[in-house]
Amino acid sequence: MKCRNVKTETLGKLVTASRNFLVLVAFFSLPLAAVAATPHHITIALSNTSEAVNWYEEHMDCQTITGRDNAVSCGTAEIEFLLGATVGGSQGTGVDHIGFSVTDLDAKMNELENVGVQGSGVRLLRFDDGSLVRDIPGLFKIAFIFDPWGTKIELVQDADLLGFHHIHLNSVDPVASLDWYRQVFGGEAGSLKGMLDGVQFGDIWLLATEYTDGRPGITQGRAIDHIGFEVADLDEATVQMNRLAVEFQQEPIVPDNARSSAKQAFIRGPDGVLIAVVEPGWAGVEEEVFIADTSESTELYVPPQTPWGEPDLQGIWTADAAHGIPLQRGIDVAGTDELTPEEAAARRERGTLNSIWGYDREWRDTTLGYVKSAPSTQVAMVIEPSNGQLPETTAAYKEVVANRAPRIPPQRARTPVDLGTYVRCITRGPVGMMMPSIYNNGLQIIQSPGNVAIQKEMIHETRIISTEPREGFGEGLKTWLGDSHGRWEGNTLVVEVRNLNGRTSYLGSSEEMKLTQRFTRTGPNTMEYQFTVDDPAVWTEPWTGMFTFVKDDSQYELVEYACHEGNYGMTNTLSAARAIDAREAEAAAND
Amino acid sequence: MVTRFKTAINTLASALVALILTGNAVLAQPTNNYEPELAWDGNPDLNGIWQAIGTAHWDLQDHEASAGLPEMGAIGAVPPGQGVVVGGEIPYQDWALEQKQENWANRLGADPETKCYLPGVPRATYLPYPFQILQGTGKIMIVYGYAEANRTIHMDKETPEAAPLDTWMGRSHGRWEGSTLVVDAQDFNGEAWFDRAGNFASSSLKVTERYTPISPDAMMYEATIEDPAVFTRSWQISMPLYRRLETNARVVEYKCVEFSEEILYGHLMKKAEE
Repeated sequence: MKCRNVKTETLGKLVTASRNFLVLVAFFSLPLAAVAATPHHITIALSNTSEAVNWYEEHMDCQTITGRDNAVSCGTAEIEFLLGATVGGSQGTGVDHIGFSVTDLDAKMNELENVGVQGSGVRLLRFDDGSLVRDIPGLFKIAFIFDPWGTKIELVQDADLLGFHHIHLNSVDPVASLDWYRQVFGGEAGSLKGMLDGVQFGDIWLLATEYTDGRPGITQGRAIDHIGFEVADLDEATVQMNRLAVEFQQEPIVPDNARSSAKQAFIRGPDGVLIAVVEPGWAGVEEEVFIADTSESTELYVPPQTPWGEPDLQGIWTADAAHGIPLQRGIDVAGTDELTPEEAAARRERGTLNSIWGYDREWRDTTLGYVKSAPSTQVAMVIEPSNGQLPETTAAYKEVVANRAPRIPPQRARTPVDLGTYVRCITRGPVGMMMPSIYNNGLQIIQSPGNVAIQKEMIHETRIISTEPREGFGEGLKTWLGDSHGRWEGNTLVVEVRNLNGRTSYLGSSEEMKLTQRFTRTGPNTMEYQFTVDDPAVWTEPWTGMFTFVKDDSQYELVEYACHEGNYGMTNTLSAARAIDAREAEAAAND
Repeated sequence: MVTRFKTAINTLASALVALILTGNAVLAQPTNNYEPELAWDGNPDLNGIWQAIGTAHWDLQDHEASAGLPEMGAIGAVPPGQGVVVGGEIPYQDWALEQKQENWANRLGADPETKCYLPGVPRATYLPYPFQILQGTGKIMIVYGYAEANRTIHMDKETPEAAPLDTWMGRSHGRWEGSTLVVDAQDFNGEAWFDRAGNFASSSLKVTERYTPISPDAMMYEATIEDPAVFTRSWQISMPLYRRLETNARVVEYKCVEFSEEILYGHLMKKAEE
């Protein structure tokens, strides 16, 4: 009832913003005569703002905003993206999803289905009957999708309001919740198509569904980190909100990294919704830029020693910084030896999105801001040959490739063997196991005198490398990861891997492969890893790759990855393949 | 009396040695007067490759010989063995005893070991595979021969930290009491068994392990098992662990996943075309 006092002629804007995240912020501009505040922005947390700007521009018809590389304008709302860590998608939080309206929903969904889920793709939510679009009599057609960062989006076909359409809350008490927004920010209570109660700010609807599964999740830290409202005078609005006993998380301030002199406050709404309240002119904050650890001068750095006098490699390391570095130099980086930090960040994001899109964002170490290290600016892993390309393959190998039986696709897998050793949770192989991935990039090293144990989080594999000369395995004993012979060359741990069983292959490597690995600490928090593959059956000369592990003891701990024990994917893939077999057999029988 | 007195003096002496070397007070170990070789940190040197010998992996308790899969002949049979449970009895609650018997009846498909699943604690210790201990800085790592199982024992936490989630191998915090490495292991997921006889615990299991060197090439392994959801009281197992003395002894990687796939996925595999 006090809403009028908050500011009658202001534009209501929905804002989502937070310190460390890429957040979706929708700013809503209202007609002047409207009520108090206007929804201003929605803030989506993610790991690379330019990808997100492109995505919303391409798929949601939003517009870039001049001078702001981390926000888009979608009709009367703004969406702001903040870099950083999130712990999950928007679904199930106080702000479950946002809605966009299109003129032809069937055509739109058809278009999105063709985009696919790879890369910065689109994940479609199917209804129980398998359909993508549902027509709600008296309302309109609806469909749900997810953006690559876990934001749930409802697409509707509402000819009365195209573009940004609504914000949908989860609430233990929808009536009370909507009333709270109306009291604090103004807006007009109403009913969408006479069917859904909500509060309308300008064109945009704020809707609420009763949440029956306990309490909705707190938005902060999730894909929709917060929503934002704009008020004409934040000081005056603060007085008013205090009168309404609104809980402040942050008193009005101009953030250090703000792009304008407009102030921002954070308040706590009902059902765990974080709400930013901003003044006119609010233009978001500058992204927090990770500072690269550039201490790569190998000459100067003297690594610590263990108490017993060997170079000390112990600790938790991750390959997260290296995620996205291509093995070979691409033609797009022909003229450079190093990417800019921005290019590196964009590349890592692409690498992450391209690897396994089907995994929700919380799986991905590299998108979540768990990572404290800057993405590597290295152009390629291959450092030898110096052109960054793998050497020519041998004539014999080319013949092998030409005559190789085509790979059986997963949906036709007869047995687990058809699915490969990684999917079977056996191993990624001696070369592959060290490679950066989208998750489980942790590497723990523990040493005892004369021994170095290297434990990889992915799949969970541990190699114990003796650094003293010793008798190796005999010829009759070969294993997946081989017999590791180590030695110290200065401060470098050199490991020669022998007795490989050759049952895994890295880019075609054969069982003749000799693998030599070198681990060198190059700074307090950096360890250079080189691997040389000498496989004359496949490549005409040896080649060497390199990337850097970054130490992360303060926050990272290897958590048991019981890969095989939880391999539901194997069961599901094989049962799907058998279902396809049965369907085909039935069709054949009917012919 | 005289013997006891001597032991006390020896223990005191080793306690003083430990005190001098580490600056920490240590508790006496009345059962053992062996003075172990010390590692770089002044604590007993447990580095090396160890293995249990016996039949505890078949059954923690006394057991007679019994038949295995007929097609395996005598190779598949269960050899007889003496139990390692102190006092002989595992004090199951009534329901849990029934569960144990059910586990035994269904063991071929139900034992996590047949599926190459992680072994849990204490089972990892006395499976018939070697394991290697590395005494590092602030951490001790145990790498087991079976199924790539491993544990990091945190020696550097002043107060134990809860695991972020329950796991097969749990979370381990260790400390030295005299010449004994004491490890508290908990935060298990309750899926692991203790042996091939179906002995088991729940996710409220807590295992307190004691590793005490008794000669250059052997140490005593004692584990106290507490699980109020399954047992009526705590109980203990005790067995020696032996150093592998082959000059080229190694923990050889044993990835058993592929040998479990028929059991797990056989019903989903495409049979060869006839």
